[in-house]
Amino acid sequence: MRRLQGIAAAPGLAAAPPAVLAPSVGPAGGPQRSLGEAVAEAQRQLDALAERLRRAGRTDEAGILEAQSMLAADPELLDGVRRRVASGVAVDEAVRLAGDEAAEVLERLPDPLLAARGADLRDVAARLMRALHNVEPPRLERRCVVVAADLAPSITAELEPSLLAGIVLEGGSPTAHAAILARALGVPAAVGVLGAVAAARGANEVGVDGGTGEVAFNPDSAFLRRVVAWADARHERQADDDRLRDEPLVTADGHRVTLGANIGRVEEAAPARAAGAEAVGLLRTEFLFTGQASPPDERTQAAAYEAVLRAFEGDPVVIRLLDVGGDKPLPYLDLAPEANPFLGVRAIRVAERRPELLAGQLRAILAAAAAAGVSDPRIMAPMVADLGDVRMVHRALAEAAAAIGLKLGRSLEPHLGVMVEIPSAVLVADQLAQEVAFFSIGTNDLTQYLLAADRANPALASRQDPMHPAVLRAIASVIRAGAARSVPVAVCGEMAADPVGAVVLVGLGISELSMSPASFTAVKRALRSISLAEAGDLARECLDAPDASTGRRRVAERLGLASG
Amino acid sequence: MAEAILTIRNPSGLHARPAATFVRAATGYAAEVRVTNLSSDPDRSASGKSLLAVLGLGCGRGSRVRLEATGEDAEAAVRALADLIEAGLGEASGSVETE
Repeated sequence: MRRLQGIAAAPGLAAAPPAVLAPSVGPAGGPQRSLGEAVAEAQRQLDALAERLRRAGRTDEAGILEAQSMLAADPELLDGVRRRVASGVAVDEAVRLAGDEAAEVLERLPDPLLAARGADLRDVAARLMRALHNVEPPRLERRCVVVAADLAPSITAELEPSLLAGIVLEGGSPTAHAAILARALGVPAAVGVLGAVAAARGANEVGVDGGTGEVAFNPDSAFLRRVVAWADARHERQADDDRLRDEPLVTADGHRVTLGANIGRVEEAAPARAAGAEAVGLLRTEFLFTGQASPPDERTQAAAYEAVLRAFEGDPVVIRLLDVGGDKPLPYLDLAPEANPFLGVRAIRVAERRPELLAGQLRAILAAAAAAGVSDPRIMAPMVADLGDVRMVHRALAEAAAAIGLKLGRSLEPHLGVMVEIPSAVLVADQLAQEVAFFSIGTNDLTQYLLAADRANPALASRQDPMHPAVLRAIASVIRAGAARSVPVAVCGEMAADPVGAVVLVGLGISELSMSPASFTAVKRALRSISLAEAGDLARECLDAPDASTGRRRVAERLGLASG
Repeated sequence: MAEAILTIRNPSGLHARPAATFVRAATGYAAEVRVTNLSSDPDRSASGKSLLAVLGLGCGRGSRVRLEATGEDAEAAVRALADLIEAGLGEASGSVETE
C-alpha cells in the first residue's frame, strides 16, 4: 500500500479501481462541426445539465453551469477564436488558444473566487472542442474512484453518480466547484493530492478518505475494513432515511405534528412535497421582488403562487407577504439607508409607505387561489407589532378582493395569520388571537429581538440560541394565547429544524414545525425517540434552566446527540 | 450617452452568478454597454455584454464601477443596470435570510 496525504474535500470513505481522466486530447482528424454549431451544442448540453440539477433542488450547482453556458457563447471569447481562425489557425486549436488566454486573464485576478473561474473557462473551451469534434464527454464504465490532475465541474456533474465511488484530484481546493459538487452528490473526495495520477496508474485499487484527505493506493485490509464499516453505517442510515421519508412527524407515543416546508422559490415546491412535506409553512416571496429594477407584475406573481398551491394539491400553503427592508434594498422601494435595518422600515412597515405593493401582492394571491381552486389561502404578515397592523392588512385584503371582483365568503375565505417575531406581538398575542387565523413564530428574529443580540454578528453567536428560557417562555405564552381562541401555533424558524429545538417545541405544545426539507429526517428521528409527556418534561426543565446551553445540553443528552 | 457610478455591495463581489445576471440584463439593450472598475484600473473598460469581460474586471465587494452606454436606449439601459446593481444582482446583499 502507498499513502498520499491530500486535503479533505467531501466526507466519506470509498475504495474502487481507479479511472484516470486525462485532460481531453483532441482526436485525430479535423472538426466535424462549425464553430456556431459547436457553441449551440455546448450550450444545449450545459443547459440540460443545469436543468437536471435545478430539478434536483441543487440550485447553486445549477447556477455554475448556467454561467458556463453563457461563457460558451461569450462574444469576447468567440472574437478571440475568430481572430485566430482569420489568421490561419485551425478552429479547434483557436478555441483552445482563446480559452487558455481568457483563463489566464481570470487566473491572474487577485480575488481567489474570481481566479478560480479560470478553471470554468478551460472547462468550457474543452467542451467546445469536444462539440467541434462531435466527441461525447468522458463516461465511467464501472464503479471507480476518479483520479485526475483536475476535474472540471461540468464533467463532475456529468459522471454517472452511481458509478462514482470517489474523487481524488492533484489540484483544486475544498472550495473548487468540483468539491462542492462532490459534497452535493455525497461522494468522498480529496484534493491537492500531489502525485496521485502517477500513483493511480500503477494501482489496481484506490482508497479515499474524504474526511481526512488520506488516499491509499492498493489499500491494505485495515483501510478496506474502514471503508466497509463506513459503507455499512451509511447504508443503514440511508435505509432509515428512506423509511422515515414516508412516515409522518410523530412522537414515540403517536402524537402527530404537521410537517411544513420552508421554501423560497417555485422550483422548490415539488421536491419539498416529494420529501414528505404536508404543508408549506413558509413561502418566502422575496424571490419575486429582488434582483430587478421594478416590482413584478401581478400576473407573474399570481402564476408563481398558483404553481406552489397546485404542487401542494390543496394542502395549506402559507404565503408570507414581502419581507424586505434596509438590509435588502430594492431599487424601486427607495428606502433611505438605516443604521439598524432590522429595527427599521421593513416588511409590513414598508406597506404604509408603498400601499400599492401590498395591494398588488394581495390581489395576486387571491387571484392565484381562485385559479387553483383553493378556497382558504393562507396569508402571513411579517413584523406585526400589534392589532393595528393586523387590521391594516385585513382592510387591504378586503380592498384587494373588491378590486378584482372577488367576493370574500365561503367560496373564498383567506386565512390571515401573523408571524410572531417582535416581542410586542408576544405580549399582545391574546389580542391578536381574536383577529387572526394562525400564528407562526419566527424564532430567529424573535431571539435576536428578545435577547438584543444581532443575528449577523458572529461575536454574539452564543447569545442567539432560541433555547434561552426567555425565548421558550415567550413561545409558551403565545401557545397559551392561541389555545384560548383555537388559533394554531406553528414555528418556522431555525429552531424547528434543530432536533433539540424541535423536541422542546413539541413539548411546549407547538402543532406544526416548518423547516427546510433537508432537515426532515433528522427532526423525524428525534421526535420518534421520545414520548409527548417526556418532551413536555424536558420543555419544562428548559423553561426553568438558568441559560440556553444548560437546557440544550440536557435535551441533547436525552436524545443521545453529541452536545455542541 | 448615459453614465452612472456605483459601488458593488455583493458579499463576494461580481462573481459568476451576479455577473451573469448583469450580463443577461445588459444583453437585452441595443445600446453598447461598457463597464470600468474604477477601484483597480480606471483606464480600462470592458464590454458589459460579455461575462468573460465582466469577470475579468475583478470587481470585489466595495469596488466602484462606472457604467457607460451609447446608443438609442442608452439612458434606459444605464438606469436599469444601475438599479440592478443596487438591488444586489439577484443576491440578497445582507448575509441574513429571514426565518
